[in-house]
Amino acid sequence: MDSQGSKPALPLQLLSYALMALVVVIVGLPLLWMALGSLKTNQEIYTLPVQWLPSAPRWDNYIDAWNAAPFGRFYLNSIIITVAGAGLELINASLTAYAFAFLRFPGKNWLFLLLLAALMIPEQVTILPNYLTLADVFGQSWINTYQGIVLPGASTAFGAFLLRQSFLSLPREVLDAARVDGCGHLRLLWDIVLPLARPVLATMALISIVAKWNDYLWPLIVTNTQLMRPLTVGLTYLFDQEGNTRWGPVMAASVFVIAPLLVIFAWAQRHIIEGIAAGATKG
Amino acid sequence: MGGVISRRNLLGGAAGLGAAVAGSRISKRSTAFAAPNVIQDTGSRVKVLYWGSYSDVLGEAEQALVKMFNESQDEVEVEYQFQGTYEETAQKLTAALQAKQAPDVSVLSDVWWFKFYLNNTLAPLTDLLAANNIDTSDYVDSLYNEGVRNGISYWLPFARSTPLFYYNKEMFAEVGLEAAPETWEELVAVAPELVQKDGDTITRAAFAHPNSASYVAWLFQPVVWQYGGAYSDADFNIMINQEKAVEAGNFYRSSVVDGWATTPADPETDFANGLTASLMASTGSLRGITTNVGDRFGIGTGFLPKVENFGCCTGGAGLAILAGSPAEKQEAAFKYIAFATSPEGTEFWSQNTGYMPVRKSAVESETMQQFFTENPNFKTAVDQLPLTQPQDAARVFIPNGDQIIGKGLERIMVNQEEVQPVFDEVAATLTEEAQPVLEALAALQG
Repeated sequence: MDSQGSKPALPLQLLSYALMALVVVIVGLPLLWMALGSLKTNQEIYTLPVQWLPSAPRWDNYIDAWNAAPFGRFYLNSIIITVAGAGLELINASLTAYAFAFLRFPGKNWLFLLLLAALMIPEQVTILPNYLTLADVFGQSWINTYQGIVLPGASTAFGAFLLRQSFLSLPREVLDAARVDGCGHLRLLWDIVLPLARPVLATMALISIVAKWNDYLWPLIVTNTQLMRPLTVGLTYLFDQEGNTRWGPVMAASVFVIAPLLVIFAWAQRHIIEGIAAGATKG
Repeated sequence: MGGVISRRNLLGGAAGLGAAVAGSRISKRSTAFAAPNVIQDTGSRVKVLYWGSYSDVLGEAEQALVKMFNESQDEVEVEYQFQGTYEETAQKLTAALQAKQAPDVSVLSDVWWFKFYLNNTLAPLTDLLAANNIDTSDYVDSLYNEGVRNGISYWLPFARSTPLFYYNKEMFAEVGLEAAPETWEELVAVAPELVQKDGDTITRAAFAHPNSASYVAWLFQPVVWQYGGAYSDADFNIMINQEKAVEAGNFYRSSVVDGWATTPADPETDFANGLTASLMASTGSLRGITTNVGDRFGIGTGFLPKVENFGCCTGGAGLAILAGSPAEKQEAAFKYIAFATSPEGTEFWSQNTGYMPVRKSAVESETMQQFFTENPNFKTAVDQLPLTQPQDAARVFIPNGDQIIGKGLERIMVNQEEVQPVFDEVAATLTEEAQPVLEALAALQG
């Protein structure tokens, strides 16, 4: 606690503020450019030197973008894919991590190595095999279906690894006490381990939600019709093959694509910071 | 081309929509001029799945075309599915063919269709053309011939474009030019006057080149022809490191070294902002450039400048039928291709998108003539079309050929390396990459 009382020297403080300001600019400028661009005409966007503010905010860009493709449907699809995908990832990762952290079974180390190896495989490599597998699932094609979009990404080596590391750092005494009281595995996981690991869980959920929401390549490949596509693929409906893209509506659509993520992030970061703070004061 | 839809209805509608090339969107009237829906029994219609790369304004025109086709007859029903860019569409098609999930007909760009031909996945169209009484000599020769192998057509021209010379009328007037230069020499002569500098920085260039990501190899190809050279011959003998092509390379290099041309990331944006007085760009960009320039200055267009010869290449995308589809579907799919590339179809499509009309007879029609009066720059592009030639094998048939040549051009223009050694390296890479193609071709032809 004593470190909080004494402030660092002024030059150091100034430096840290300067660095923070730099980071804010690096992260914030593209977002600002997008938000401002969503209110400009194409000509204003294409003007050099840069014209930062639209001469008259063009709210029609939002209407144009919304009407250019069935964005309502894209929203629904994105929500279904994200909730199902991230939910399954969380469940899978929790169960896997619990097994690797607390159970004793033969070949555990080898299996864990296999999990780590899976961490190294880039997603792009798995696209074609996944596609070929889905084309014929017990004689049925799962191309252009929700299960086809969600299932190949329903497990995550990274999430399982992240959770296992955090589970291992949980206080053993609490777990032992629960076991003595007759807690089974599922109860232990649900009532003790997961609540204790909440910050990590929130972090993982956030990473997972962002990844599912922003995924482009797989949903593009596995869906064929407008009705099945999420927002990210929906954005391409606003692009022009010959480069004559109307950037105003594209920026406007980008704003309403990322808006839900910003809300979720604002909500989830409270849990993450709370968790980190809780961990920091414990020792 | 048969069909319930009358020519008058179709053309009336197309004329009303003509302004789309100038940047406006297709009006909702597109439904109003199509023939009334006369289909009672949709169950008996052959369903055709069509994959394409057109979205936004182009996508609306595509949807309108499909709708017109579906309402014009009661035997075939086409479903159009947008699959992303030309590259994404080709990659999806590759995966879909392996998984037996391919559509019946697909849009394929100039650099992609050959790959599918090599893998024996495209259906020959010659018999279908004959069965539907289509006079193939009415297709613009250079566009049609590009899709023909050993006398058999596999790829019919649809959304085709060519390079075009664009200039800023006001800037050209300052140096006494009232039209596009007929030769590069003419441009070089006035180039120093067009250039404006702030110290060593060029604030206004006479000309701007794109980079490899924006297909500089496509635009350099006609310049090589103008010098009397080629990237390669039709048999994949690489010629880019031979005397004439190297001369063209030296001309490109000197344009940058002598300080009158720049290599910006997006030359079309530079042009719209008056940072360059002229450039070569696709005819497909006319609509976008016109919108982005607005009333800032007058846009002039011209044929590509000459050197020893005139030279201009084709580009863009065409339609192909997948060989894996059943015969009945192939025939149905062809009915759509016949419609989309018919004189009436191509008139509608080109007036709404800015792509070139692919039929000779389409150019002469009344609505097209009226459209030209309203869009004189579009007329320049169409006038140049009969003079174009199909592209060299090295760029379009060798996998990644466009990028291999493009990266070489970046080295001579941006790094200002000597042309001959760079083109020797490019030629070696192209020769190497051509090997698997030649083997596949040999296997295909027995």
